[in-house]
Amino acid sequence: MFDEETLSASQQAKARWQADYERIAKRFADQAPTQALNPQSHSGLPIKNCYFPHDVPDSTRPEAPGSYPYTRGNLATQYQFMNWANQPVIGYGLPEDTRSRMDLLAEQGMVGYFGSRFYNLVYDLVSHEGLDPDHPAARGRIGQCGMAVYSAADMARLFDGLDLRKINVVHITYYQVIAALAQYIAYAERQGVAPAELRGNTMNWYHQSAYVGMSAFPPEQGLKLAVELISYCSKHMPKWNTTNFFGYGVEEAGGTAVQEIGLMLAFGIELVRACQQAGLRPDDVLPRFGFQFAQANDFFEEVCKIRAMRRIWATTMKDRFGVTDPRSMHVRIHTHTSGAVLTAQQPLVNLIRTTLHAFGAAMAGTQAMEVSAYDEALAIPTGDAATLALRVQQVIQEETNITAVSDPLAGSYYVEALTDQLADAALNLVADIEAQGGYVRAQRNGWIRSIVEESSERWRELVDSGQRRIVGLNCYTAGEEPEPQLFKVDSEVERIAVERVRRLRDERDAAAFDRAMESLELAAKEFAASRMDQLGDDKLLPAAIDAARADATTGEIMGVLKRHLGWGPPHES
Amino acid sequence: MANRIKVLLTKPTHDAHDRGARYLARKFRDAGFEVVFTNFLVAEEIIATALQEDVDVIGVSSSAGGHMPVFEELMSGLAAASVDDVLVIGGGIIPDVDARVLAGLGVPAVFGPGASAESAVEFIKEHVRQRSAV
Repeated sequence: MFDEETLSASQQAKARWQADYERIAKRFADQAPTQALNPQSHSGLPIKNCYFPHDVPDSTRPEAPGSYPYTRGNLATQYQFMNWANQPVIGYGLPEDTRSRMDLLAEQGMVGYFGSRFYNLVYDLVSHEGLDPDHPAARGRIGQCGMAVYSAADMARLFDGLDLRKINVVHITYYQVIAALAQYIAYAERQGVAPAELRGNTMNWYHQSAYVGMSAFPPEQGLKLAVELISYCSKHMPKWNTTNFFGYGVEEAGGTAVQEIGLMLAFGIELVRACQQAGLRPDDVLPRFGFQFAQANDFFEEVCKIRAMRRIWATTMKDRFGVTDPRSMHVRIHTHTSGAVLTAQQPLVNLIRTTLHAFGAAMAGTQAMEVSAYDEALAIPTGDAATLALRVQQVIQEETNITAVSDPLAGSYYVEALTDQLADAALNLVADIEAQGGYVRAQRNGWIRSIVEESSERWRELVDSGQRRIVGLNCYTAGEEPEPQLFKVDSEVERIAVERVRRLRDERDAAAFDRAMESLELAAKEFAASRMDQLGDDKLLPAAIDAARADATTGEIMGVLKRHLGWGPPHES
Repeated sequence: MANRIKVLLTKPTHDAHDRGARYLARKFRDAGFEVVFTNFLVAEEIIATALQEDVDVIGVSSSAGGHMPVFEELMSGLAAASVDDVLVIGGGIIPDVDARVLAGLGVPAVFGPGASAESAVEFIKEHVRQRSAV
């Protein structure tokens, strides 16, 4: 990156600095903190106390945003013409409750690309488990941590009056993704909107069962389900983003920045390979993949993580799969500021944390952002807290002038060196997983779970021992704190949701429902027995859509899938 | 031979937040407890596992709301099964106002975000019911 003369001057400058540093270090030797003598990133990567031009790796070449390998961003314009989209996570109570929060945030200026509206909607725990609200396990969980939406009829309550052609809807689902997408499509058809006109995202998060402890489909069946959805959408829903890589969940489970990007790249390789087996071309599916990453506390590491991921994703997809479409090499990112590092103690302090996270994500060049609300470590955010979280984005977008310049941290000796370090460490992790036979194998044998858990324990030990400082938790504690005003879901939600699903079952066309469910049974049975290379004829998702048209509920559709594909705890304890 | 304290740690199947519970499982093992870790869908499953494994302590983790019905069903189910020598504690994201109600139900402690593993170990050692020596 630098000429001989600069490198030589750099070495001299470093020698001078080193001598000075050691002189000071000697004087304070008995009180030197770890970070003074043996600095590390939060991922545990060794870093230096000061960087010089010769620390920038030889491989770092001047690069333009929008050019391969996209370290500096997917596009030549970063935020100059189009800011990142505000994508706060919304979802609680009945569909009407969720809708009122959607409208509140829209009124407060929540905006997507070029003035369009994005709705980032999370389903409740009952739906995530693939159940209906009248199941015995649903009690106390209906409309909690997400919206009580279980049918095409609930979709109507949620989107009433909105033009589905003009909005972009992210459906935050776990393993019930096929049921939810089928219901959304069935509802859209009733509005005269074809699947091909719909814009939005499905998460397709089967891969998260490698590191998230919820009950799940077996890993191999999960991978097939992911491919089935991609295959169907690539043919029928060209504007739909099929798959989201849930890096955030790795961080949430205690994984490091290196693990977050390394695991997602390893899964990317597995998924594209599987798509190829099912007869799909990488350049036809990759442009519709996106990513969700956390932005956590180690400011520079979190920025460099994103820069590194853009580079290694592009190089890996090009080298391994020969893709040529730039969109196949792009890492389109939804940032979710870290919820795991927020504290229940002194909750207002979380506003400061999330502001730093959001600022880092903007520096890294994210495409869309959810900023956690300050009261999120305690309960579902209140309307005021959700609005303040949106204001964090708006202040950064409107007041700091950082959006004028693309990839503003590029060229920093530290940032370039750390970007390279993160890329190398993540590629090493990918190599480890490939050596075991790929992501699904490393999931099945528990390896992924165990490395994430080790990181989680290491973090906890650092916090417990006070080496990792958390304001309000292990330092600057406040003693007795006033009880915060917490959001509570209306107790009527349960009764109404149960009543609605019962009425739906009573009133729907029973014969049409039975026929559709019979076809779904057959399709699921056949799907369960199919190999990856037998997929691609897209029978399962259309059968689920037929069932949703006949007003099948989430619990009913998922019941069929669970029965034929298997369902249970993701890991041995 | 001293009886080892046996703990059932359990969380709802649909609750993605298992980091705290799994960390506690390890710390409990380090402290010499025997630990069974499971997911549950309904409270009946907790009771069935507790009886089958003959545990001294049941720790229920919940970080996604909906904990009150679980504890209510668990406590009434244990009473119906005439189990009165098992210590039941909670963990995860459970607001103080709920924790006070739980104390009335016979769940004496909730270990929320930031509580140390040591405090949970100490609490169990102090409060585990003295069972008739085998």
